[in-house]
Amino acid sequence: MPTINLRNVEKSYGGGAANAVSDLDLEIGDGEFMCLLGPSGCGKTTTLRMIAGLEHLSDGEIQVGERKVDSVNAGIFVPPEKREMGLVFQSYALWPHLTIERNTDFGLRLRKVPKAEREERVEKVMRTLGIEQYRDRYPSQLSGGQQQRVALARMLAVNPEVLLLDEPLSNLDARLRLEMRAELKRLHNEFKTTIVFVTHDQWEAMTLATTIAVMSEGRLQQVGSPNDIYDRPANRFVAEFVGSPPINILELGDQADGLAAAASRYLSERYPSLSQVSSLGVRPEAVRFTSDASEVKEGSFSVPAEVAGVLPTGGSWIIELVAHGHKLFAVSHELPEVEAGQSVTVWAKPKALHAFDASGRRSQAADALFCPPKVQ
Amino acid sequence: MDGARRELASDRVSTSRWNRIVYAVRIAAREPTTLIGILTALLFTYLIIVPIVSMLTDAVFVQFGEERRAGGPAGTLTLYYLARTFTSPVASDLFWTPLFNTLSIAFGSIVLAVTIGGSLAWLLSRTDMFARKWFATALIVPYMLPAWTFALAWTTLFKNRTIGGQLGWFEAMGLTPPDWLAYGQLPITIILSLHYAPFVILLFGNALRRFDSQLEDSARILGARPLTVATKIVLPLMLPALLSAVILIFAKCLGEFGVAYVLGLPVKFDVLATSLYRNISSRHVGVAAVLAGSIMLIGIISLMVDAKLVKEARRFVTIGSKGSMNRKAQLGIFRMPASAFAALVFALSVGLPLLTLALSTVMKVPAQFTPDNFTLDYWIGTDVHTVALQTGILLSPDLWNAAWNSLSIVGLASITSGLLGLLVGYVVVRTPIRPLGTFLRQVTFLPYLVPGIAFAAAYLSLFAVPRGPIPALYGTVFILMLALIAEQMPYASRAGISAMMQLGKDPEEAAQIAGAGWFRRLVMIVLPIQKGSLATGILLPFISGMKGLSLFVVLAVPSTDVLTTFSLRLVDYHYTQAANAVVLIVAAIAYFGTVLGQKLTKTNLAEGLGG
Repeated sequence: MPTINLRNVEKSYGGGAANAVSDLDLEIGDGEFMCLLGPSGCGKTTTLRMIAGLEHLSDGEIQVGERKVDSVNAGIFVPPEKREMGLVFQSYALWPHLTIERNTDFGLRLRKVPKAEREERVEKVMRTLGIEQYRDRYPSQLSGGQQQRVALARMLAVNPEVLLLDEPLSNLDARLRLEMRAELKRLHNEFKTTIVFVTHDQWEAMTLATTIAVMSEGRLQQVGSPNDIYDRPANRFVAEFVGSPPINILELGDQADGLAAAASRYLSERYPSLSQVSSLGVRPEAVRFTSDASEVKEGSFSVPAEVAGVLPTGGSWIIELVAHGHKLFAVSHELPEVEAGQSVTVWAKPKALHAFDASGRRSQAADALFCPPKVQ
Repeated sequence: MDGARRELASDRVSTSRWNRIVYAVRIAAREPTTLIGILTALLFTYLIIVPIVSMLTDAVFVQFGEERRAGGPAGTLTLYYLARTFTSPVASDLFWTPLFNTLSIAFGSIVLAVTIGGSLAWLLSRTDMFARKWFATALIVPYMLPAWTFALAWTTLFKNRTIGGQLGWFEAMGLTPPDWLAYGQLPITIILSLHYAPFVILLFGNALRRFDSQLEDSARILGARPLTVATKIVLPLMLPALLSAVILIFAKCLGEFGVAYVLGLPVKFDVLATSLYRNISSRHVGVAAVLAGSIMLIGIISLMVDAKLVKEARRFVTIGSKGSMNRKAQLGIFRMPASAFAALVFALSVGLPLLTLALSTVMKVPAQFTPDNFTLDYWIGTDVHTVALQTGILLSPDLWNAAWNSLSIVGLASITSGLLGLLVGYVVVRTPIRPLGTFLRQVTFLPYLVPGIAFAAAYLSLFAVPRGPIPALYGTVFILMLALIAEQMPYASRAGISAMMQLGKDPEEAAQIAGAGWFRRLVMIVLPIQKGSLATGILLPFISGMKGLSLFVVLAVPSTDVLTTFSLRLVDYHYTQAANAVVLIVAAIAYFGTVLGQKLTKTNLAEGLGG
């Protein structure tokens, strides 16, 4: 299976509009399940379509394995029909005038695969996806989930080395989505295909991907494993985009603001070298709260707050807290022993803190101080 | 050293620039979409723009043979034709009276059509009138039939001794209808309003059906009386639909030729279209060009006014009101009278004219209902004592010749324009070159603004003489076909564009990913999916072409006779029975064609006809 390399890829639609994709460098490894994650309009679908050849580049190049498929400077462009990739569309794009079987064997017929082999391969992929009983039906006679399977089967039938998926689960209901996620993961293991998957749903990205590439406004923000993205967000955008309820951000500096002042004081007293830090983030799971101030661990950041509400989500609870007029979220997996209106102390250990500088970049210096490497 | 490096760098920049061009060309040439777009754009420039421009320029150049009157050698610029049409002593006959007549007929027809059609639309869509479903289809039928069918039915009934030929029924019964009832403004207005009332029923009815009853309910709960609700809530929101119908009727009246020709000629009641026709047939090319240009201008202005007014009125339209409810008003004791009204309109606009025509073809002497007066001779007889037509119409080779011409010319033209329409749709939706798509969309819409007679005049002016490699086409079927294709492009390209818009890119891109090249995608994916709209794009032009009169009346010659011109000639010969029989055949083809089309495509073609 090939690796896919995007180098300095840029896409503009002209007319003074901002670039859809700017200066994108991305390597998608062999057999990787790469997820392009970002809010709508961030350029992730454009990137996917450029890999497929459905959009051309304004600059840069794309290489698949040893073969350059796209290069503006070298004047190379391989049309999509010659790239031997698979793409599952968000709308599924099944051909309404063809039966499920003809939809599935379309690519094989184009490749003039002999009848016996064609039937065998179609049979296998249909069975794998559990759609063999619908072979003579038309797409309009299938449910959304079944159509989605056909769209996948159609691409898997030709055994593509690269499979591109454009938000294929977004039109499914919650239950089907869960099933299809497991299915995709299984297929990835079985076919060992390189998969590039576009989604705006962080859960989908977290559960499926081996690597996540977070994009915003046409620019790559961070590439890393799901855990990396969640635990060590490279900047404030990634920190705030990933996670639900969202990460708590404490802006530093303004002395009139009680919370900001408390955070600034904490930082300047304990970590005087971190003068560049302009905001702190704490994930809701790392937010602790107690009515007994003596439980606060030594060296932690703490601030008095009031419980505004306890929201059960089934299995866990979201606790809304208000500290110096700022709303903070905490998540607890045990029934919290507090109630609305109660005064508590909110605290977090230093290693739970994410520090960002004024441009929103993660502070490496703070990481070293908050989470010093253990001395053996 | 430094210089050499700089040279090398600039070398690299220039190869990279060259490669960038290669990249752009490769992208553009990847698919023939753009090439097809350019070719079709050239084709339509030649078929639509060139004829129109060539005709319009005739208005300001001295025509051959008129050097002395125009006061200059042929081919020089002159204002003579403009002056003659607008300010000379004959201007009143040429332009101003026909203009006044056209406008007053249009105005009268609009008022009548909106009154009749509007009330029917309300009855059909918002009340519990009897047999609503049946009426909903039946009341559209007048539009499926050629308008001049009704004109012929009218003359069959009301013709008086002012003109020769067979007597009208009333005259035959001893009641001489006065001229104002038999010919001219009144009958033309009535016939056009009955013919175009379906526009109002369709457009206004659709809007009414989509109207959210909750909007009315809210007003009523706040204390508004039904009349207040109707004038303050319903009517303002219905305005865009109503305006569209009004402008559409106006534009159609502007170019209407057949009805005015049949009913206006005997009393020298001219409208713009007949005045234009008169000038074309008497070879007054310059004046004809001025008249055609005037009709086009009025058409363009009215469409621009329409676009503006509709845009203005649309501001109020609630978009996507979700709780759309459509409650039917209980008519109570008015249920019967309402149904009777609908039945009466149907009887007057469809039943009576068709019955009159049908009866007239089997009666020797008009309005004499004795058994010995009835005969099938005019259909299948062998011994009819008329000079030019010795046999019944069905046995006449002229009819079959005309029918074959109609079917082959119109059929071939419709298939061509249907396919071209789909191609135009494909290019408009797919081409990366925006201006090309815009140009194609606008150029194919242009013939809509040009009345058939003016368009025919344009073709005559361009193709009557050999130009460049193109021989003189007048008198051949080619000129008819080309003109038909061009005239039908607005419908065909609109069908194609909307079909391609609905299809979206995905199915085709999926095929591309699967490895299908352009041609294979077109044949295996696009055409099969679009076969329904392709059928519509062929059938709609076919029906309108079969009914059409104005193009043929100018461009056809006896050897390229079609059914419509054949029947018109029979009218001129005063062979009433035969003429009416041919008209019935045309009406039947148009009607059954529409019905067949609806069956085939499972759509309501009548709605498409309104567009």
